Amino acid sequence: MVSIARKNLFQDLPRFIVAQAGIMFAVGLVTIQMGLLNGFTRSSSLLTDSSTADIWVASQELRYLDLTLPIPYERLEQARNVNGVEQAEALITQGSVWRYGISQIAPIRIVGFDPEGELFQPEPLIEGSWAELNNPYAIAIDRLDLTTLDVTGLGDTSEIGSFRTDVVAITSGIRSIVSSPFVFTSLNNATAFLNSPVAAPVSDPPVPPELQPESLITFVLVKARPDENLQQLKRRLEVALPDVMALTQDELADLTQDYWRQSTGVGFILGLGAVVGIIVGTVVVGQILYSSVSDHLREFGTLKAMGSSDWFIYRIILEQALWMAVLGYLPGMALCLGVGAWTLEAQAVQILIGPTTAVGVFVVTVAMCSGAAVFAIQKVTRLDPAVVFKSS
Amino acid sequence: MPFPFMTDIQTDIAAPNVQYAISAERVEMVFGSGDQAFKALKGIDLKILTGDIQLLMGPSGSGKTTLLSILGGILTPSGGSVSLLGQEITGLSRPKLAKFRLNHIGFIFQGFNLFPALTAAENVEAALNLKRVYGREARQEAWRLLEQVGLADKGDNLPQDLSGGQKQRVAIARSLAGKPRLLLADEPTAALDSQRGRIIIELLRKLAKEECCTVLMVTHDPRIIDLADRVVYVEDGMILPEAPSSFTHLV
Repeated sequence: MVSIARKNLFQDLPRFIVAQAGIMFAVGLVTIQMGLLNGFTRSSSLLTDSSTADIWVASQELRYLDLTLPIPYERLEQARNVNGVEQAEALITQGSVWRYGISQIAPIRIVGFDPEGELFQPEPLIEGSWAELNNPYAIAIDRLDLTTLDVTGLGDTSEIGSFRTDVVAITSGIRSIVSSPFVFTSLNNATAFLNSPVAAPVSDPPVPPELQPESLITFVLVKARPDENLQQLKRRLEVALPDVMALTQDELADLTQDYWRQSTGVGFILGLGAVVGIIVGTVVVGQILYSSVSDHLREFGTLKAMGSSDWFIYRIILEQALWMAVLGYLPGMALCLGVGAWTLEAQAVQILIGPTTAVGVFVVTVAMCSGAAVFAIQKVTRLDPAVVFKSS
Repeated sequence: MPFPFMTDIQTDIAAPNVQYAISAERVEMVFGSGDQAFKALKGIDLKILTGDIQLLMGPSGSGKTTLLSILGGILTPSGGSVSLLGQEITGLSRPKLAKFRLNHIGFIFQGFNLFPALTAAENVEAALNLKRVYGREARQEAWRLLEQVGLADKGDNLPQDLSGGQKQRVAIARSLAGKPRLLLADEPTAALDSQRGRIIIELLRKLAKEECCTVLMVTHDPRIIDLADRVVYVEDGMILPEAPSSFTHLV
């Protein structure tokens, strides 16, 4: 079958290129907004990605990953005694202040964990080793935060509270858009940092003490025994441990992502940007299709005079719209993937474009172009075939 | 050998062999309403024999093209009745009229109205696609029709690369797609010089006779009168009983 749509489309190349640029722009805008929203929500629960735990036990006041009250360290031992628990480890996360240079400060989030443990391992580690975090006041930071924290690399020092820290390990790409830079350390070091007043560095600091049952931690990470029913284990943990809430890792991630998406304006703003992209794309495609149909009105009138059904002509216009959608989507998406890779590498801002987003944006692009075709279709519907008998 | 696709494009509307291919009775056409109403056709009676080549002549604004549009089932008359190939079409719905045109009428236009983005062969093939003939069958038939109009070597050319006469030949080939029983032509020679115009009409006459088509042609051109079987003259929305002296003088 002769593709009148495709031939019409490529007949006027400059106009075709302008149309495709418009669609590319719309695809880019929608994809980047969606990618940023995905990256943002994923980033908000980034710490859970470093864990292989099945269940996170926290204070029953927990709102989301970064907003909760501490629980006593003894909950760890209590959790280990619950039937169905194979392994349990403590985790501390709390905000603090990083001091560097002369009177310079920066917000940080201290993450204390068991460097020999198995349930929490921030990856990838690109320099140093986790074992060195057991050294007093040893820390690990991410390479993307080196500049922010004014650290040159391994062996550099700075201050948290009244303690001088040693950078003994460096991770890569563990940075959250919604959180301060992560400072990873051992549980003992974390407790020492968080209990230390902001003061001049102690010249000969004592070795951080071991955690006591009454020491404060943030989470107990639990690994269930194989084939254990997690919902039942959660209930057993909540019964056995006073004043706690138990969530599966996915539940905690969802809770945190929902909070950032809904309780802040970020989801709305990025969604609005995507809608603007769709509107821009629809207008651009609509204009191009409308003017293309106007230019070929006599030919469409001829088809009508010859006895073509309206649907035959609608198919031509819709096919033209689909070609525009596909040929605008492919380079638009390629561009977004390139931009996403660049922002992740250069700025650690994740524009997360997964298969679902890619397919979703394609569907939106097709819908956008098909919707834009409605204007052109209306023009053809109103077209009187007698137009063919008017001299040109 | 009959076209294999002819059976595919038959509709519920029968097209039997009849004495008159076109029969119009008291056809009226009024444009506008109230004080602005303009009566373009004032009770036209016309019968065209099957297989005839008939010219519809008259000055500009006489109502020729309006009459052609009505006889082609494109415009619905304000009054009177029209029967094509034995089928009364005045009461038919728009979709049924479109189907009738698709299956039985070929059109040739003054401005050619070819798709500029399609080659000559593709323009003919598109008309066949419209009649649900697709693929290789449509391509072969398109080239056969182009060969019939003497353009076998121009099938791959875009309309912009063809002369006016060649474009009109493509339009004729397109109008013959699907073997219509009626050919309606609106000023087919208007954009051509007299020599090319005559060649086109001679070709049209030859093909129409070969394909057993009835041809109704609106024209201003008195130099092709001798190629027609019959001529009717329209003036002020009415058919004149005989050729006006101005036309006789021109001929």
